[in-house]
Amino acid sequence: MQELSNISPSYDRLILMVVDGLPAEFVLGRDDRPAPEIFRKSMPYTQSLLDRGVATGYHAKAAPPTVTMPRLKAMVSGSVGGFLDVALNFNTQELLDDNLIGQFFKIGWKMVMLGDETWLKLFPRSFTRHDGVHSFFVKDTVQVDHNVSRHLDAELLMIDWKLLILHYLGLDHVGHTGGRNSVLMGPKLEEMDEVIKKIHRSMVQNKHGRTLLMLVSDHGMTENGNHGGASYEEADALMLLIGLRDYDRRPSTHKTVNQVDITPTLALLFGVPIPINSAGILIADTLKSLEAAQQLRALELNTWQLFRLLQAQLPDLSCSSSCGVDKDGPGNDIGECDGNTEEIFCCLYIKAADLHKAWKSCQVLGSNKVEDYRSTVLAYNDFLRTASEWLSRRATNKPVGLLAFGLTGMILSSLILLSLLYQLEQDVCMIKEDRTSHFSSRMHKWHMDEIFVMAIVCFLVLSMGSSSLIEEEQYIWHFMTSTLYFLLLRKAVQSISSVNTQDQGNFMERQIKRRFIQMSSIIFVLISGRILRGWHQGGVNWTNFPDISKWLESEGTAYIKPVQLVSLLLLTTSGFYALSFLRPSKRFVIVVGLSFLFPAILVLQYIINYQSSGVPASSNNATLLVQIIYATLGTTTFGIVVAVPWFMPVRNPKGCSSHHYNVLHVGIADSLYLIGLVYIICWGLLQLLLQQPINSAPILLLLVQILASMCSSSNSDPEPKQWVEVAVVYYLGMAGHFALGNTNTIATIDVAGAYMGVSSHSTVLSGILMFMITYAAPMLALLSMLINLSRRSKISLVNAQDVDLHFLLKTTLAYPCLVPLGLNSIFLVAYTTILLLMRNHLFVWSVFSPKYMYVCATTACIYIGVLIVASTVFYTYSTLGLRKMWIR
Amino acid sequence: MEKAEKKLKLSTNSNSTLLPISSLYTFILHTICGLGLALAYWVAHNVYSVSLVNDPTQTLRLIWVIEAPIVILLFSGFRQHPNQCSYIKAVGRGLLGLPAGAIVNALGAIALGAPVGIQHFSKTANWSILMSVFTIVPTASVFGSSWIEWRRIFAHAKPNGPIDLLICLPAHGAVIGAWFGAWPMPLDWERPWQEWPICVSFGAMAGYMVGIVASFSISLFQKHLKKE
Repeated sequence: MQELSNISPSYDRLILMVVDGLPAEFVLGRDDRPAPEIFRKSMPYTQSLLDRGVATGYHAKAAPPTVTMPRLKAMVSGSVGGFLDVALNFNTQELLDDNLIGQFFKIGWKMVMLGDETWLKLFPRSFTRHDGVHSFFVKDTVQVDHNVSRHLDAELLMIDWKLLILHYLGLDHVGHTGGRNSVLMGPKLEEMDEVIKKIHRSMVQNKHGRTLLMLVSDHGMTENGNHGGASYEEADALMLLIGLRDYDRRPSTHKTVNQVDITPTLALLFGVPIPINSAGILIADTLKSLEAAQQLRALELNTWQLFRLLQAQLPDLSCSSSCGVDKDGPGNDIGECDGNTEEIFCCLYIKAADLHKAWKSCQVLGSNKVEDYRSTVLAYNDFLRTASEWLSRRATNKPVGLLAFGLTGMILSSLILLSLLYQLEQDVCMIKEDRTSHFSSRMHKWHMDEIFVMAIVCFLVLSMGSSSLIEEEQYIWHFMTSTLYFLLLRKAVQSISSVNTQDQGNFMERQIKRRFIQMSSIIFVLISGRILRGWHQGGVNWTNFPDISKWLESEGTAYIKPVQLVSLLLLTTSGFYALSFLRPSKRFVIVVGLSFLFPAILVLQYIINYQSSGVPASSNNATLLVQIIYATLGTTTFGIVVAVPWFMPVRNPKGCSSHHYNVLHVGIADSLYLIGLVYIICWGLLQLLLQQPINSAPILLLLVQILASMCSSSNSDPEPKQWVEVAVVYYLGMAGHFALGNTNTIATIDVAGAYMGVSSHSTVLSGILMFMITYAAPMLALLSMLINLSRRSKISLVNAQDVDLHFLLKTTLAYPCLVPLGLNSIFLVAYTTILLLMRNHLFVWSVFSPKYMYVCATTACIYIGVLIVASTVFYTYSTLGLRKMWIR
Repeated sequence: MEKAEKKLKLSTNSNSTLLPISSLYTFILHTICGLGLALAYWVAHNVYSVSLVNDPTQTLRLIWVIEAPIVILLFSGFRQHPNQCSYIKAVGRGLLGLPAGAIVNALGAIALGAPVGIQHFSKTANWSILMSVFTIVPTASVFGSSWIEWRRIFAHAKPNGPIDLLICLPAHGAVIGAWFGAWPMPLDWERPWQEWPICVSFGAMAGYMVGIVASFSISLFQKHLKKE
């Protein structure tokens, strides 16, 4: 504050009128061309102000992301944000950085805000009076603005406020509904013109003080009326200063400034400190009414502020006396300042400061020269421009080296995974050829389903390049998975013929039964897949289409609740049914089954007692019950996983000698089956608790679908290759991810569920819960890999005479771990590349970046899942290995 | 293609119960099938002045109404075991195959994501009848209920001789064409033809035509090989 003693505020009151989404082109034209005739005619008053020179217009270039909240932040704090700003603040929160509104509040201004309630979220306690409007109903183009204007007359008569913010959303809504050339655009501009006229008239009549009207827009819009990206149309925001005291009286050419320049300009015009993180530079023209000394002082303040900001970024920057500057020639051009960044800044700064000093001493002597003044201003401007450019580049610069390094790392890891997979496939083929040499010719023949699994990867990678296919990704996953199952069905039909040739009564009957089970389970997967697809419409463009969940919700809890209860019941039953396949150790199975019956009953109790009303229960009892369920599920799962390998009865498989290896390996297979089942059932129970009530049936369907898929592959006759099986389940999981209502926008993340059972606010806990809710389906698929693994180890046991651990691990564990990792790494690499290529695309902020966050989160999910599977298998193996040693 | 040719080479030895046909005859057969579709489309466009885009239901109905008799009458002439099975019986099999095949096609399309609902019923019904004409009806007319032949054509895709080719390749072409035709549907181009079942029908018809051309060229090639 003391620094400012030399500058008196030029104005007393500020009216900040924000017209959301108004492109500067509508008012000022583009590249020396005047604005389109239709828009000029719609704003006669504003155009006359511009023509008379009462108003000064600027193109205020907005930085991406060109959406309202970050732009408002940029205007009031002058800092350049990035995309992370959007990602971390999808709930708009209070702006805590140093900003203009805060500064005004500090000097005791009374402020009034009418319009978009984003302001109220950013500055919750700053406004004396306010009337916030929602910006959700994009179709509403009239009422939003009426709600702002209705207070205008009264406020203009009031004399208590110093800052009046008017934020009109209507124009943005017009753009979103009809694009730039919408028929509503003209009338809307006329309405805005009327508002400007009203304000300007009152300013002229008003004797309460010097009032400045600043008309700004936060961003522009594309031809279609969208915004968010970095194209000229979107970034072309407007800044119009009406009521400057010393205007030129002639229409000037409209300069281009940066949106962040608004901050220091306003700060200096109203005599408050420039917000510390502001990267903007003072628009010198606005201060012309001040005397020369004050103008230089303003430039000096801006320079000091930017210099401090530079020092924060460059710790080495300290312009002590060691930074020598030739005193001989004030008025040198910048050409002399070179060296590294620090030296350039230092040189420019000292030059400007010296010139200023020289000018001041001259002023004392009375020999003031206009030339000296000019060169000082130039020197200051040189420094300011260089510093501001460097700062904003630094905020949005792309560290090419790091990017290349990261991408290379990803590609390398992907290549390593794929080559491992290839190597593994070769090895497994070789082993099989050794064992069953007469099959060798068949091994190399590629089946349709194998080719299609690969083709799906290609289709998905190609589809990632299209923004609308990313928005509607759920269709692709469902379409691909279903097609794959149709191919599997076709393969099943093919294999019937091979049965017919071997006419052996009993064998034949068994074969037909197996075919029947296989085909009916595939058909079941197809049907349930279609139901899952129809459960949530999903996507972006057709979300309003009818779907099952909307229908159920409109019918009310009377329908949802039975669905939920039936889902819970069926989930438990199918769990028991799947458990019953472990016949030889019946007593053991019953114990395990009973142990997860208890959490199931608890979940049932929760559903009956607390989920009756549509609102999520938040009473203490409900929280306590949820915590109990968490604890029970956790201990049950953990306890069973730890105990099963120790207590699993080892039995003699038929036809095998009592060879210790085999007996124990059957034990391994059984334990893995049991553990896998326990994992997926407990996961399913947890999801029934966490997910929205509407999602209970999809959870059940997903679980049963995965079991049916396993059933079909275990009943198919030329065994499908293991990597095909694993890939199929992975695809099912991904299709299920979208079936649970997830999309590639951040909006569909279920935030409400993330606070279930959390008694005090904890970001970490809520984050974990949110992750678990969002990635329910892929995780379920990954956990079910254990069942697949168990079946595979049984098969390799039947084929093999002497199995060693190495071989068993290779043929069982390798695929369930490597295939998901490999597939995911392909998608990750492909999408990263696409994102880099698309970085200038129109939808980079609205479509591609959120999708990238999902891709990264999926990667995390896959790694966690694979880690769980691998560690469980290692634990089981080592435990049974220990038991083997004891038996000996 | 190479695979198919290899299969054909292998299968020339197997004794076919179908009528032997000359290459001119093959040409006429293929042309009638292809022209039938083209004619149907032309009639829809110029006589009734409807197109797939502005009235998919009507157009699809017109196309199958014209194409179905052509296909049934034509293929019934090439029925398997012509001595045991009369022409009328073969036509009856074809007529029976029409609704049955339509149900199969409709179920397949719905499983792959075709919209369900009363407002979509007539579109789906007409589309699936047309698909049935392309896929199931010829097989039903020629082979009746012979499970082994059905499996040979559809599960294994191993056609023997020109008639088998004419049954198998266009049918597969129609299905694959329809599958690819569904791809533009989720794109946000906001074109009227992205609606179900317009682009899928276009894809199916294009695939059918490609299948006919492929089947004709393969049967010619096969003849050429035989002569050598």
